[in-house]
Amino acid sequence: MADNEPGRACSIPYFSRDFLRSSARLSRIGEGALGGKGTGLARIDSLLSRPDIQERLAPYEARIPRTVVLATGVFDSFVERNGLAQFATSADPDPVVARAFQNAVLPPEVLGDLRALIDGVRVPLAVRSSSLLEDSLSRPFAGVYATKMTPNNQADPDERFRKFVEAVKLVYASTYYLGAKAYGRSVARSLPSEKMAVVIQEVVGSRHGPRFYPRVSAVARSHDFYAAGAARPEEGVVSLALGLGKTIVDGGACWTYSPAHPRVPPPYGSNRDLLRMSQSRFWAVNMGSPPVYDPLAEEEYLVQSSLQEAEYDRVTDDLASTYDASSDRIYLGVGREGPRVLDFGPLLRLGGSPFSTALRELVSACREYVDAQVELELACDWSDSRSAPLLGVVQVRPMLVADGDTSISVDDLTDSTNILGASHAVGHGFLETADVVYVRPDTFDPRETVQIAEEVAGLNRDLVEKGRPYLLIGFGRWGTTDPWGGIPVRWEQVGGARAIVEVSLPSFRAAPSQGSHFFHNVTSLQVLYLGVVESESERIDWSLLERGKEVARTDHVTHVRLDSPVRVEVDGRNGRGRVCPVDPRGLPGADGSRTESADGND
Amino acid sequence: MTKSNKAYNSFEVAQSQFDRVADLLDLKAATRELLRSPLREYSFAIPVRMDDGSVQVFRAFRVQHNDARGPSKGGIRFHPLETQDTVRALAMWMTWKCAVVDIPLGGAKGGVICDPHHLSAREQELVCRGWVRQIVKNVGPTIDVPAPDVMTSAQHMTWMLDEFEAVTGSRAPGFITGKPISLGGSQGRKEATGYGLVFTLREALREMGLRPEDTVASVQGFGNVAQYAIELFTQIGGRVEAVSCWDQADSTSYTYRKKGGIDLAELRAIADPFGGIHSGRAIELGYEKLSGDAWIEQDVDILIPAALENAIRADNVGQIGKRVRIVAEGANGPTTPEADSALKDRGIFVLPDLLANAGGVTCSYFEQVQSNMNYYWAKDEVLGKLDVKMTSAFLAVHELARKQKLYMRDAAYVIAVTRVAEACHDRGWV
Repeated sequence: MADNEPGRACSIPYFSRDFLRSSARLSRIGEGALGGKGTGLARIDSLLSRPDIQERLAPYEARIPRTVVLATGVFDSFVERNGLAQFATSADPDPVVARAFQNAVLPPEVLGDLRALIDGVRVPLAVRSSSLLEDSLSRPFAGVYATKMTPNNQADPDERFRKFVEAVKLVYASTYYLGAKAYGRSVARSLPSEKMAVVIQEVVGSRHGPRFYPRVSAVARSHDFYAAGAARPEEGVVSLALGLGKTIVDGGACWTYSPAHPRVPPPYGSNRDLLRMSQSRFWAVNMGSPPVYDPLAEEEYLVQSSLQEAEYDRVTDDLASTYDASSDRIYLGVGREGPRVLDFGPLLRLGGSPFSTALRELVSACREYVDAQVELELACDWSDSRSAPLLGVVQVRPMLVADGDTSISVDDLTDSTNILGASHAVGHGFLETADVVYVRPDTFDPRETVQIAEEVAGLNRDLVEKGRPYLLIGFGRWGTTDPWGGIPVRWEQVGGARAIVEVSLPSFRAAPSQGSHFFHNVTSLQVLYLGVVESESERIDWSLLERGKEVARTDHVTHVRLDSPVRVEVDGRNGRGRVCPVDPRGLPGADGSRTESADGND
Repeated sequence: MTKSNKAYNSFEVAQSQFDRVADLLDLKAATRELLRSPLREYSFAIPVRMDDGSVQVFRAFRVQHNDARGPSKGGIRFHPLETQDTVRALAMWMTWKCAVVDIPLGGAKGGVICDPHHLSAREQELVCRGWVRQIVKNVGPTIDVPAPDVMTSAQHMTWMLDEFEAVTGSRAPGFITGKPISLGGSQGRKEATGYGLVFTLREALREMGLRPEDTVASVQGFGNVAQYAIELFTQIGGRVEAVSCWDQADSTSYTYRKKGGIDLAELRAIADPFGGIHSGRAIELGYEKLSGDAWIEQDVDILIPAALENAIRADNVGQIGKRVRIVAEGANGPTTPEADSALKDRGIFVLPDLLANAGGVTCSYFEQVQSNMNYYWAKDEVLGKLDVKMTSAFLAVHELARKQKLYMRDAAYVIAVTRVAEACHDRGWV
């Protein structure tokens, strides 16, 4: 296929006022490029229109939601005519940028098409960024820019249009947010060259009273960096969540499994743990009472609801199981009383799991079509009235599997000169650096992870400005939105780290960050990622770090510069990684005089 | 701007256009008689004490052609050559214009025989206030809503609004449109007519399989309508190579041409508030200075007459270049019936005035709605609605023209006259 190259513009028809009455699923408004998401959807739309593909997916039907892409030329005109280009390089806070964009006027030549679109659509809309750089193979901007959903259910089309225009302007404004600029610097991109397209999609799902959501959201990847047990990396991995996919991409609690082994549960210690750690709340579009007016908030029209509310909506019947405390067992389905566990049991275990089979076929077809490893974001919904259950392909992006020649044996993991060894590592290759930023184990407190995130961000900013790549070590899941599950940094707050270590303490265990935007950035930016579960075989020699030259110190985090650099290695073929000195003799402590000197400083 | 043509009578033109459509629709005699003349006409005098202490009496008019579909709507013109027949014709065209874009308004027009170039601001204010005092019982938010037109501006509307509110003892922003934004005017009003023209032009190009970036236009006039039409046309990729305008100093018009495309910003910078381009500075900027009628002879794809009526006539229609495929009428009544026949014979696609320049009245209607609600809409909202309204109107007219093999002007009239006739019928008038 000629248009397989990432970023290559696909030819899709221009929007016409009868688009909504046609069978077409994709249309464009304006000139210029479609951006990463837009291009990906255009390619997959043509794949999914093939009858042989649909046959492979039966009884499911896969298609992209009805989508209109505002091409990058519209953004250019908007910025130029309203004098907003100054924000590309300014240090203005995000609210200032957002307000300036809200007060600006969209190019009049596209307003009629947008108005006609809103007049004709009555389901919730997702307004997503689709930048030229976002989702590209080498430099993803996944999750850096804004996405906003609008309920689009007001009776007055003027009101719907107003909310929609606010959402478009918010996505545009996020191009010039401080986080985006910091991210741009961290990947050595020049922001002024960034161009933003906007993907406008009908949200896949159904209305349940005051909520609109898909039964299941999924992120399916063709390669599994965390394959364990019988699962093999090439079999891929799927993360599922009830409701909108925000739960998964934000790194929230979701159900991650191998689609080749749908009956194998995730490795939780006990059923009680499973009950505690599995998804208990879900995101939906708020179709009920209008929220507090806040056009600058991405989540203005989203609502988080409990599993009880989903059960009231009768969507958990084929998704949840029931925990029986007296026997510490989990029973398939919701036929008995008891706490519900969102393990997608009925969906994955009954009837040969056609759902998993369809997902595997879909991922496989997409991977073959684009001739690269892929990551799909899906929204799946079914109801009695819909003839075939729907797999809505919301996004498609390439994922990276690194090549290299690093090799780590089992014995290497326990080498006495190691600072740490990890049997679960992601990526492939090595990094040599003298800069290490680490959360000190003696001051770490799970209640203070939000503050720790800010401290890390400050140190990261200094290192990015100085152009020094570094090794980052901390506790729990990096990039989670749950402050109790790890350190809730956004990607740009750690964007200068070229190697990241995730340490699970016995008292603070967290599942890997699979499926999130954060994790996508880790893999696609070729950041080496090592997961250490502190135990007999895996431990960190903190003393070696403590003896480095302290450059900066906050309440919980220290930046040290070692006299001699360390080497971070990951062997992607066996998932092993370690951090060791480049020259063991150069490490503080390895030389008697250095040790004495260091001790003398104490 | 155009050559004088004493035989030209706007009202006769308007009536002949109506008669042809009445025949097409086979309208009943009573309906025909009702619609081919105004429902009400007001003619009055405005005495004004001038700055030199003398008193000058200005003749003024208000014609309400038909208000079966809603309150009358129409501008007020200040022009030394104003006639009652011109005002009648323009009022009738307003009725059709409101109907073709399907807004719930009737048609009206007003005028004062005067030349604001020769009046001080104070004298113009007294003319405005005098006009309102004479007609106050017969206008108002629910009766007849005036607006700016030839040589009247937001300032004139503000004086008129203030007088109306003083006389009636109320605050009634819905009395008049074209107000400054600060007094309840609408965002997008100044762009509306020019942008509206380009919205319909864009759709016409789409129907004809032409891309805007492959087309070149020549424009008669450089007033508000022309400037915003040029602005949006160039923003969607088109190129304008010639504009004509009135030169007050020389009392004639000129065409300024630049091969490769005019620069709107630089011409705006050397234009007066009435759209007159400074001749010497235009030449310095590299523009060719041609005769006033040269705009029609250019080797272009699109002609946009956006000044006054009677611009394309029997005597100059033959000068239209072979390349021309579209005439988009930004002005009211720019094409005489004879010239119209010639355009039809040549197969030139005409965007008739009542459709192409209806953006102004549509936005005036939006302003009226906002004023009556005492609320406001963002510019995105106004222009988005305007585009939808104009595009829908174009598609309806084009569809009818295609299905019934009608000339575009006839199709627009058929839709408009049918709607007004039905309203009159539904009210039991005919």
